[in-house]
Amino acid sequence: MKRVWIMMMVVLIGTAPVWGADLMVFSGAGLMKPMEAMRKNFEQQHSVTIDVHYGSSGEIFGMVAAGQPCDVLIPGAEKYTQDALKNGWVEKETIRKLVLHLPAIAVPKGNPAKIKGLDDLAREGVRVSIGDPKAPAIGRVSKKLLTKAQLWDRVQPNIRVYAPTVNQLLIYVALNQVDATIIWKDLTSWAEAKGKIEVIDIDPGRNIIKTIPTAVCTRTQNRALALQFNDYVASAEGLSIWKEWGFEPCAK
Amino acid sequence: MRQITVFQLSCIGISLFITFLLVFAIASLFLVPDLEDVWKNLWSDEMRFSLKLSMLTGIVSTLMVMVFALPIGYALSRFDFPFKGFVKTILDLPVAFPELVLGLCLLLLFGNTLVGEVFRRLSVDLVFTKQGIVAAQFFTALPYASRILKSTFDYINPRLEFVSRSLGYTQRETFFNVSLPLAKNGILAATVISFARCIGTFGTVLILAGGTYMKTEVLPMTLYLNISYGNMGMALTSGIVLTTVSFIAIFIFEKAEVGI
Repeated sequence: MKRVWIMMMVVLIGTAPVWGADLMVFSGAGLMKPMEAMRKNFEQQHSVTIDVHYGSSGEIFGMVAAGQPCDVLIPGAEKYTQDALKNGWVEKETIRKLVLHLPAIAVPKGNPAKIKGLDDLAREGVRVSIGDPKAPAIGRVSKKLLTKAQLWDRVQPNIRVYAPTVNQLLIYVALNQVDATIIWKDLTSWAEAKGKIEVIDIDPGRNIIKTIPTAVCTRTQNRALALQFNDYVASAEGLSIWKEWGFEPCAK
Repeated sequence: MRQITVFQLSCIGISLFITFLLVFAIASLFLVPDLEDVWKNLWSDEMRFSLKLSMLTGIVSTLMVMVFALPIGYALSRFDFPFKGFVKTILDLPVAFPELVLGLCLLLLFGNTLVGEVFRRLSVDLVFTKQGIVAAQFFTALPYASRILKSTFDYINPRLEFVSRSLGYTQRETFFNVSLPLAKNGILAATVISFARCIGTFGTVLILAGGTYMKTEVLPMTLYLNISYGNMGMALTSGIVLTTVSFIAIFIFEKAEVGI
């Protein structure tokens, strides 16, 4: 009997190092599809394990702020990386601009409310959902671009729900629970959404285009590997994966 | 003399170890944040709103749960009817169901189907609304209550009911005058557990009611939203409030001395 317990303890202690991954990446939830593809490729090429934590940009920023172990930070908008830089949490020379993040209007298939542009979101009776302006990057941007277009005050009464995560917006549109939402255009190209929603471009003059950056954290436990992964997501191979999932690379 | 075996020691040791970990985990929730900060957060508009909404929806949901769970528990315990096994399985399903899946199911049901249309005709809109919170909590907590009540009625000797019937009382009179008073403890336990479950429901509420700041924001949502906002103080405060509520609930539950 005693031997069984001892063996169990040995097994537990012995396997402990396997539980921790070699690299911890914090990523915006909206980047999940390309990030997963890149994670798998990188893991195979370097035979390492990478853990990616997906959350709203505000959430992962808060986690870095709280001192959670993080090697590479890839939020949904550059503002977060710049803020992290100001606080000394990321290394300046490792910041790379990756791809463009383009807000667009998503409507259920058939466009029941006949949305043609931003102005229609302010029309009476249109059910709108946007990201919580305080949580995901798209929420902040939606509020900003509606304010810039001087529509915020008129759109606000139409907002049925402020979703704490981007992916919720997609569910609500796909299930026809709202007539329109503002969401990253790249998200709409996800296979799941195909055939369920339609995308309406926002007039470029009124849109706010964001860039997605990557950076290595100053507190990284494995700087060499972190730098390698950081370079990989910005490499030609990385960018081709971003493109596959509907992101536009930053013009250099 | 009782001999303490290795087996006994191991069992006790493991219990103590896990208890220790839990005590530490809960204690850190109270010790990590700045108490002054917590006090200030407790009186913020957001927390007051969320606490009030949680209490209100929790009480309404619990009452509704009990109204439905009592007959369900009694039926499952006392009567035989076709498809009883199937009914039992389906009613218990939400216990094992992830809350998010339940939320998604309810969103589909109350969204574009006939059922949703019927509810809307009765001017009960359950998507993205406070009524939606109640619906979400109701379906999450119901199986717990009906399970507790079923086992409560199982433990009540049917002979007492037969005696009542033989003295000329109807089945309904017997239920209200004999079975219900005997099930007192079980009813209290079911109420407390349902309330705690309602207050703590997160995933179902998030999907069905949307989790909108200061609109459908119940306590677990306050915790979650403030983690997304990067506002740890507020998140910890809602954690403390939630823990306190569950502590009180478990305390009352233990006092009621009813096994599930």
